[in-house]
Amino acid sequence: MKINKFIYVLIVGAVVSTSCKKSFLDQKPPAAVNIGDAIKTESDMGDAVNGMFNAARSSSLFGRDIPVLGDVLSDNAYVSSSNSGRYLQENNYTFISTNAEASNIWSQGYYTILQANRIINTALPSSTTIGLYKGEAYTTRALVYLQLANFYSAPYTVNPSADGVPIVTGYQGAYTKPSRSKLADVYARIIKDLDSAYAIMPATATSSEYMNKYAAKAVQARAYLYKGDYAGARDAALEVINNGGYSLLTSAGFTAYWTNPGPVTNKQETIFELALTNITNNGTNGLDYIYNPAGYGDILSTDPLYNLYSATDVRRGLIINGKRSGVQAYIVNKYSNVTNANDRDDLKILRYSEVLLTLAESYARLGDEVNALKYLNQLVAQRDPLLVYASTGDQLVSDILTERRKELAFEGLRFFDLKRTNVTINRPVQANSAPSIATIATDNFRRLLPIPQAETDVNKNITQNPNY
Amino acid sequence: MKKKLLLFFVLSIISLNSIFAQGKKVTGRVTGADDGQPLPGVSVKIEGSDRGTQTDADGKFSIAGTAGEKLVFTFIGYATQIRPIDGSANYSIKLKSDTRLLTEVVVTDGYVTQAKKSYTGSASSVNGRENENKPFSTPLQALQGEVPGLNISSNSGQPGANIQVRIRGIGSIGADSNPLYVVDGMIINSGDLSRLTTTTNVLAGINQNDIESITVLKDASATAIYGSRGSNGVIVINTKKGKAGKTQVRFDTEIGSTSNLSLPDAGKPATADQYRTLLLEGLTNAGVNTPALLQPYIDSYGLNGKSNDWYDLVTKNGSQQQYNVSLNGGTEATRIFASSGYFKQEATTIGSNLKRITGLLNIDHTISKRFSLGIGLNFSNVNQNTPGNGGGFVNPILSAYFLRPFQLAYNDDGSLNTSRTGNTNFSSIYNPLYMAQSDKRSSSQTRVLGNVTLKWNIWDQLKYTSYVSVDYNILEERQYNNPIMGDGRTAGGRGYDYYTRYFNWLTRNQLSYRWDVPNTTDFYVDVTAGYEAQKSSAYLISTNTNLFPATQPLLTNSVNGSTPILGNANTSNYTYDAIYAIASINYKNKYVLSGSFRRDGSSRFGSNHVYGSFPSIGASWNIDQESFFGVQKIFSSAKLRVSYGLTGNSAGLGNYGWRPTAGYGINYAGSPGQNFNTIGNVNLTWESAKQLDIGADFGFFNDRLAFTVDYYNKNIDKLILQNPTSLTTGFSAITENIGAMTNKGFEFGVKGVPVKTKDFTWSTSFNLSLNKNKITNLVNHAPFINGNFQVQEGKSFYTWYSRQYAGVDPANGDALWYTDDKKTATTNVYSKAQRVADKQADPKAFGGFNNTFSYKGITLSADIYYNYGNYIQDAWANYLNDGTNYTFNKYASNMNRWTTPGQITDVPKYVAGGVNSGQSSSFSSRFLYKGDYIRLKNLTIGYDFKNLSLLKKLGISKLYVYGRGTNLWTKTYDKRLPFDPEVGAFLNNSATNQYLYGVSNLEVPQVKTYTIGLNVGL
Repeated sequence: MKINKFIYVLIVGAVVSTSCKKSFLDQKPPAAVNIGDAIKTESDMGDAVNGMFNAARSSSLFGRDIPVLGDVLSDNAYVSSSNSGRYLQENNYTFISTNAEASNIWSQGYYTILQANRIINTALPSSTTIGLYKGEAYTTRALVYLQLANFYSAPYTVNPSADGVPIVTGYQGAYTKPSRSKLADVYARIIKDLDSAYAIMPATATSSEYMNKYAAKAVQARAYLYKGDYAGARDAALEVINNGGYSLLTSAGFTAYWTNPGPVTNKQETIFELALTNITNNGTNGLDYIYNPAGYGDILSTDPLYNLYSATDVRRGLIINGKRSGVQAYIVNKYSNVTNANDRDDLKILRYSEVLLTLAESYARLGDEVNALKYLNQLVAQRDPLLVYASTGDQLVSDILTERRKELAFEGLRFFDLKRTNVTINRPVQANSAPSIATIATDNFRRLLPIPQAETDVNKNITQNPNY
Repeated sequence: MKKKLLLFFVLSIISLNSIFAQGKKVTGRVTGADDGQPLPGVSVKIEGSDRGTQTDADGKFSIAGTAGEKLVFTFIGYATQIRPIDGSANYSIKLKSDTRLLTEVVVTDGYVTQAKKSYTGSASSVNGRENENKPFSTPLQALQGEVPGLNISSNSGQPGANIQVRIRGIGSIGADSNPLYVVDGMIINSGDLSRLTTTTNVLAGINQNDIESITVLKDASATAIYGSRGSNGVIVINTKKGKAGKTQVRFDTEIGSTSNLSLPDAGKPATADQYRTLLLEGLTNAGVNTPALLQPYIDSYGLNGKSNDWYDLVTKNGSQQQYNVSLNGGTEATRIFASSGYFKQEATTIGSNLKRITGLLNIDHTISKRFSLGIGLNFSNVNQNTPGNGGGFVNPILSAYFLRPFQLAYNDDGSLNTSRTGNTNFSSIYNPLYMAQSDKRSSSQTRVLGNVTLKWNIWDQLKYTSYVSVDYNILEERQYNNPIMGDGRTAGGRGYDYYTRYFNWLTRNQLSYRWDVPNTTDFYVDVTAGYEAQKSSAYLISTNTNLFPATQPLLTNSVNGSTPILGNANTSNYTYDAIYAIASINYKNKYVLSGSFRRDGSSRFGSNHVYGSFPSIGASWNIDQESFFGVQKIFSSAKLRVSYGLTGNSAGLGNYGWRPTAGYGINYAGSPGQNFNTIGNVNLTWESAKQLDIGADFGFFNDRLAFTVDYYNKNIDKLILQNPTSLTTGFSAITENIGAMTNKGFEFGVKGVPVKTKDFTWSTSFNLSLNKNKITNLVNHAPFINGNFQVQEGKSFYTWYSRQYAGVDPANGDALWYTDDKKTATTNVYSKAQRVADKQADPKAFGGFNNTFSYKGITLSADIYYNYGNYIQDAWANYLNDGTNYTFNKYASNMNRWTTPGQITDVPKYVAGGVNSGQSSSFSSRFLYKGDYIRLKNLTIGYDFKNLSLLKKLGISKLYVYGRGTNLWTKTYDKRLPFDPEVGAFLNNSATNQYLYGVSNLEVPQVKTYTIGLNVGL
């Protein structure tokens, strides 16, 4: 019996024709791109910048934990006895290495740095736009490192050679286990990044939800101030004030400014804010939700802070003398857009007022009291018509710090001022507070957050902060 | 790959050319007389000669013979048939069952069909007939207790709910432990595809009455052909095919009612009187201890006012009905099976029901001597209403237990109470009656399963099969939360419409070759090799809007909402690509050596491991074919099997998880954004299992009693786990193939017909499965907590991790716990009690005991399922015991609380706000109960009107009437157990991806059904 070879050719043909190409096994994801192909064009890099800001606005970072800790760990705010169970360890200074916020800020901080590093390390032909994007990445990275250094390390003003945080400037794979850099090196990196940013960024941003070169300078002024380099802080602040084109928020526009949830383009007051909208926001994990009684309303203003504002101070209008669970309480109303139907409050990260105060303090500390008073009173005039400062010496510095506290309350900066000036933190005893601590001496080890246990478990190269 | 295929064909050609047939060729096909299905492995011999062969997978044979000689067909379980060779060249042989035992004779694994006698693997088949018309919404529910090694557990009485199916224990930690499902050769997308509703099950679309057989493939020899997807076992479902002859039309119906399984005493909610007593006592103990202080509570909680029984209000009697009609017939050339069915079940919980329509059409056509074509089409639509479960305030079962009797369902005017203020109304938990009426949670799942098979007998020994199949699933899900009460209230009403589509195709081209070793009889080699490709594409649309019209209850689609919240679409695809081969050498049916090999590639595997190889080898020895077997009289048949092989598990890998990617879908300030958010792992690959199986099958008393035993040892490694990374990388963990565990066990099965007389038959089957799971490797060998379990090396995956309850301090009524596992000292401080890893949640043993008695036309059958050695947890005990959450209703068993010093009880003092700092009712061994039970799953009694001449005159060939009850009786072994023992839950848990046995989750309870049925044959 003969075999018809033709038949076999047919079979082979039939089988082989149904076999698939190699690309059959390469199914591309529908909402993601391979990391090596993610940033190929200017537009891709713009997307990456949006992603970086998206990471930064997480409630684990600037979206809630950073600003809340900045005030709850200080003398500005406390957690009500009627609460949703959040920030109780911070309120009582009992946090340990598994503390959720210490872990969140660390991990989300480095996640944001990862996004910034990608932008910084991607080589694309230079252009104004690329300069803007890379500058935003440098600035964001510096901003995050500044927060990390201030939370997890001793103040630079006390010990520049203390342990800082690991400096990661590029993704080296999953198994990298870096050690902590010296604090001085971290600051050097921050200031260098901001110089790099300033050099390549344009002067104007599309809106306050994006950055320009003065945002880099504003962060740098803050970094120099925290470092105790007042000449540097003065120069950086002057650059913003003289050349930035920003104007000070006036008393007439004060209330409207804080109730406006969206971005501005008029260069009034806001140098940079992170966008939150009715579609993308942190919902019940938002900064607004934790402060506003329409949400959890857990966190209240301390009585001493409220009492710092005179009756004629427009800023007092942001604190309501109301009730929490039937008991008198000072309710924070800085973030009023809580409900879904409205746009949500953008997160104010850099404001002109802060730069003015930094400049005033730098002048004061450098002995130029005329200029210090000039900038201080320039701000105060728009807040409290009856208040004019004429103090000198230490009193002047103290007055500036007080104004800084009043102006920037609930924006998460107070704790760092107390840290860098290395003073005892006196938290008032509030009757309706969740368990809380009254005095945090300068040697209290919890002035440094713990390195998360999740990090120390995995990364044997890292040193835990003392006593954790 | 192409090169390998070519090589295979070249070899085939060479071997073919060496064969020269002698004499006249006689060919034919052997089928079963009762079901018309082809019989492979039938011995065909020329009487008085040494010439012989066996039928192939299609029941076909070919042998040299001359006119006058006689063909002898022998096959175990069938009467021998002798057929003289006459002038015809093609013989159609129908073998009659010799009624010894209804054991499976063939094994169909989706690729080839083999005779059970020569099969080297471990596989169990259940004939579809055994479970027809049972009132289960998914066919696998009927398999509980019927197959050794197959554990089936339903965690919910929701009709159409996903059920848990495990073959030889849990197969994974971080990936999927579900078996692979194959329907008519198609590897289907299975499980719960829902994204919005509580639960769905793709298999609910398969009508039990359309199933010819379900085969469970267990060991490596059986499953390695499925390569990287075989290690959790494979369930092969074959639908009914038409058979030639007189057309048979069947009509089946079963109708009845569903009712609650009776609640154990320990699980009864407190009555109004009991709750009042507990609340007042709790308040008094908490310092609200004067009549003046208590009066405001009495007034505001309405303790002297009206009350209602919530459990009674949210449960009811449901109904159950199904209608099936089928047609079976055709000619030798064209055979058709067609059916249509309707099934409807209402659970006993409000708002829970299922409706299903199904249709099946299978056509088999013999085109010519060399070509045949099969076409199959299976259609179904399943509509479900599924109430919420777990801790959702919309869950009616939660409401039944948590709502106080004094919260009133109805207003005085008879309307439903929707007030949210005041303690007699609904300030937190919603009125479940209003929710059932006003909210909507429904799904509609439409499935089309179609396949085409072309077979070409190129040569008598060489066959080519081309197979194409499509599995098309559409799931429409809707949820509407009304604006008056519930989850949608603050949003002004909320509507979700989700659309999920899976288009899954598979193509397979396969060559089979039989080589009879020259100059021998009954010694041959079967080789099958093929190529397979599969792609599944999911398309997922999600919409959500808020702010609905306030008083238009019918306008619930998301289009009616005025504020768009979500509206997007996504896709998700995976592909597999494989070459495979199966070979077996069969020497006189005595010795069979078989092997299989699959090289599997998948888009789910990391780029460094795109392909994997999965070999297996198996051998069997049919001792009863040896000449010496006849010297003993104990055994009527005996077979030993052994197999070893490598399989994989890749179902839970995720379609894109290995890729390091930047993800989109971010909106920053109205512009798109990307994040490097998936760390990926290009080395990520399948989990792998090496399995050894040793089995034996024995027959006694002329095979009236059959005994099967299997031992297996399954070593699973490369388990997917999360390996923590330094957070400074930006990521917290990387998914890696790290873990390992073993499953070892025994399976026993006995089937028999102990009594068989002219009028009376008793047939029985019993099976027992024992499995021991042990974790052998974890990331850094570090144990981790998984809910209330501890996953630890050296222990079973489902090992409870609890503080050990030491009862109540008779002096003061405090709860006490042991400080450590030595139980030497007790403490009343919860946090000071050490947690102990002890007791397991998955059963140590389970099985079934099924009996059928027939006397003349009367048939009685009873199916019993049992389950032993597991402990189950009341996950909501904290809310239902002690005064910790005193504003919720309690179990009535709290009436046994401690009240007076010296009293011995195990229920602590009832204090509003709780004793032991409110932690007396926190999780401890106090809330672990023995999960052992025995359940009468099915009891049927029926009468077959066999010889009624009146029926014949009416044209009715068969009439069978019966009554059935399911879940009629359950025996449990722990008086404290507050609910039915068949519970389990999925909890959102990043640590593992496993169903949690033994964790109650306030699901729709299991039901009892009472039905009457009618089968009519025309």
